[in-house]
Amino acid sequence: MMITSCCRRALLGVSLGVLATLSALPANADQITFVSQGGAYQKAQTVAILDPSAKKLGITINQDSIPDAWPAIKSQVASGKPTWDVVDVPTGYCLRGGEQGLLEKLDFSKLPNAAAMPEAYRSPYSVAYEFYSSVLAYSQKKFAAGAAPNSWADFWDVKKFPGRRALRNHPIATLEAALMADGVAPDKLYPLDVDRAFKKLEEIKPNITVWWTSGAQSAQLLNDGEVDMVMAWNGRVSALTKEGAKVAFTYNQGILQSTSLCILKDAPNLATAVRFLNEAVDPVHQANLPLLIDYGPANPKAFDTGVIKPERVAQLPSAPENAAKQALMSYAWWSSPAGEAAEKRWIGFMQK
Amino acid sequence: MTMPRAYRIAFVVFCALVLLYLILPILIIAPMSFSAARYLSFPPPSLSLRWYQEYIGNPAWMQATRVTLTVAVLTVVIATPLGVAAAYAISQSKWRIMRLIHMTLLLPLVVPIIITAVGIFFVFAKVGLAATMTGLVLANVMLGLPYVVISVVAGLQSFDATQEMVARSLGMNRLRSFFVVTLPQIKPSVIAGGIFAFISAMDETIVALFISGGQYQPLTKRMFTALRDEIDPTIAAISTLMTAVSFMLVLVAPTRSRKSA
Amino acid sequence: MSSPVQDLSVLHQRREQRLMLALALPALLVILLLVVLPVGWLAWQSVYHNGFTLENYRRIWSEDIYWRSFALTFEISLLVTLLALLLGYPIAYAASVAPKRWGIIILALVVLPFWTSVLVRAYAWLALLQRTGVINQLLLQLGVIDEPLALVHNTFGTVVATLHILLPFMVLPLYATMQQIPRDLMQAGASLGAGPMLTFWRIFLPLSLPGVLAGCTLVFVLTLGFYITPELLGGGRTIMISMLVSRNVELYDQWGAASAVGVVLLVAVGAIFFAVSRFIPLDRVLGQK
Repeated sequence: MMITSCCRRALLGVSLGVLATLSALPANADQITFVSQGGAYQKAQTVAILDPSAKKLGITINQDSIPDAWPAIKSQVASGKPTWDVVDVPTGYCLRGGEQGLLEKLDFSKLPNAAAMPEAYRSPYSVAYEFYSSVLAYSQKKFAAGAAPNSWADFWDVKKFPGRRALRNHPIATLEAALMADGVAPDKLYPLDVDRAFKKLEEIKPNITVWWTSGAQSAQLLNDGEVDMVMAWNGRVSALTKEGAKVAFTYNQGILQSTSLCILKDAPNLATAVRFLNEAVDPVHQANLPLLIDYGPANPKAFDTGVIKPERVAQLPSAPENAAKQALMSYAWWSSPAGEAAEKRWIGFMQK
Repeated sequence: MTMPRAYRIAFVVFCALVLLYLILPILIIAPMSFSAARYLSFPPPSLSLRWYQEYIGNPAWMQATRVTLTVAVLTVVIATPLGVAAAYAISQSKWRIMRLIHMTLLLPLVVPIIITAVGIFFVFAKVGLAATMTGLVLANVMLGLPYVVISVVAGLQSFDATQEMVARSLGMNRLRSFFVVTLPQIKPSVIAGGIFAFISAMDETIVALFISGGQYQPLTKRMFTALRDEIDPTIAAISTLMTAVSFMLVLVAPTRSRKSA
Repeated sequence: MSSPVQDLSVLHQRREQRLMLALALPALLVILLLVVLPVGWLAWQSVYHNGFTLENYRRIWSEDIYWRSFALTFEISLLVTLLALLLGYPIAYAASVAPKRWGIIILALVVLPFWTSVLVRAYAWLALLQRTGVINQLLLQLGVIDEPLALVHNTFGTVVATLHILLPFMVLPLYATMQQIPRDLMQAGASLGAGPMLTFWRIFLPLSLPGVLAGCTLVFVLTLGFYITPELLGGGRTIMISMLVSRNVELYDQWGAASAVGVVLLVAVGAIFFAVSRFIPLDRVLGQK
């Protein structure tokens, strides 16, 4: 009796699974699955970009979120039946994915909004979506307004600025910071002198308390007083400030980074995905994003829409005035063989 | 056995400290879940239910809870009969191949979980089972099976097999004699194995990290990604609720089985 | 020269065997498809990439990062095992000699942490151990220290949390073995004039050794494959093998390398279980989980 009912349930489960796969097969032209990184960032996008785009195009946007999309992209494309259409990932993954044949090549004649963006913000496989910055943040309890660290050289100067420090457990942006600390100008970074960067990092390593692995962790460390100084993403720090934490950051020598949108190879809803891609970088949608979260629009035309107030513009990482103080990350270098070699060297550096 | 007094006191103090170490983190989770503050402040500066609201009001958490409960229930429902059947065969048969089968069934406990996880990730990606409910349930059935097998084999060892023989000699067929005579007597070990499989499915994290995705993400995976996204006491609230539910389950299960027996 | 009766019994035995095989088959199939096949695939992938190659293994052999990770993982596993024995033996002993009610309470406290997710416990340890955490605040207030101690984001924090998760796996097999040691044996020792210490050393301890071996094996092997605690509490510096495997899969998409590291780890675990099985049956080791 028990066994038969179990079997029935198991059968039911299996057949439901089969049904689910079958029903997913005929691609519905009017929907796409969009994947981003979750949290407050994805919520902000939903309000500013996704919902308005869905309405305007008359499509349904199914959302998924994952902090590290890269391995999932690889395995989805390898299986030949990806379930995702459009992904929002750090631009480097779009470049790498394009090289490895994991992404659809874009036809920019179908993407007028994207075609109007600066060439540097595009690749044959991707379009920049938003900007953020890796900045130097510090505790105001530890450092008074006039005596706060203001450059990576200050971050490296443990005598003048004693205190506990944290860096990201990842070479991207960290190597750039090390080179700037060593005196390289923000606009002369690439190609990175990897040996010099690691040498400079060795210097600060004994004074790094934590190598953080997630944005949440970097914020928690600063907020709870685990560290006094940290390289963190600007949006994370300003979120703390809004909650009343005594922390601040500087855009000076920040590393300006972006995420991009790209479409998986053999995406189930390719045509709709292309339409969405164009809509997502529409200047007005783009201008709405920074009203909700401290990340900057990738389409520079967003600044001409008048949607973003001047005092708000001044807070954004990609505002021209702030961008001028920062180094622009070269994803092309990071996805070159030299960049990949530098990335692989990281674990060895961490273990020593 | 008597020990000198001083040793005795030192021994008791030592044991008390070790037990404190074991339960200390568990003790702070519930109070932390009622904290009004974000991040890891303990003791909580003031009390609130905001993290419970955050959990219950968030469709993603609710979906993950449904997935976890469904997976756990299906795991028990599938792994228990499979495990009991195998355990019965193992303890009845003196055949040498059965020993090998017994060892094979314990493999999930021997192979480091990260290896199983990565292996399943590769295989599921190939056959299209990644990010599906079926895949998640299959993986958890595999992980839960050894607990059922171990528990039921142990139960059958202390069970006198001649009782079933007697029942059969009285004309009952094998299946019936198993259900009427054997099963009621090994019931506690079947339930124990089932509960272990259930807990294992509720708590499984690493395989889920690799193979689950989309709308079929269990709580543990959501919790892991939530920790990367926002470190706040929501997971303490979830854990407190889960613990309360599991305790009730354990308190209810044995009393009910006793009544029906 | 078989009589009909023997034939019948052989026939019956065959039928019996087939029935038993059929009963075990579904479970066996699940394990074969979900453990043996994936691990086999992993092994295949580690040696085959457009032709047979030992490149992945050569790399493990020659590149420092793998060596260091293996060394660190074995060090931590050894440390956790020794600490678990040191803390777990007295607890198991107390549970087995204390009056029954106390014994049950002790065991209940030992298994209590099982009810809480490993993830949540890691998070609780963070709240306890960080600079502004409970322990540091307490020590500061008591005047034991002037500066908060670095208790987490390092190997120390990893070991504290890992040990916490694995301690029950030491206590339970120890307790099971100690339970079976006949009390009258101890009394006999005492009546022969041996002091309590001597009775413990000469009689109790040797008889509890199978439990020690089972507990140590479990804890050691489980630590070898640990992932969550070093990832969340190691501060980035404590890179254990499992993290190397997952990083090779996730970040660097070196599936062959990840597979090879996995295979080496598996061989190590297999060797340990094989060695241990010469002393006590394997199902005994695992059965007391």
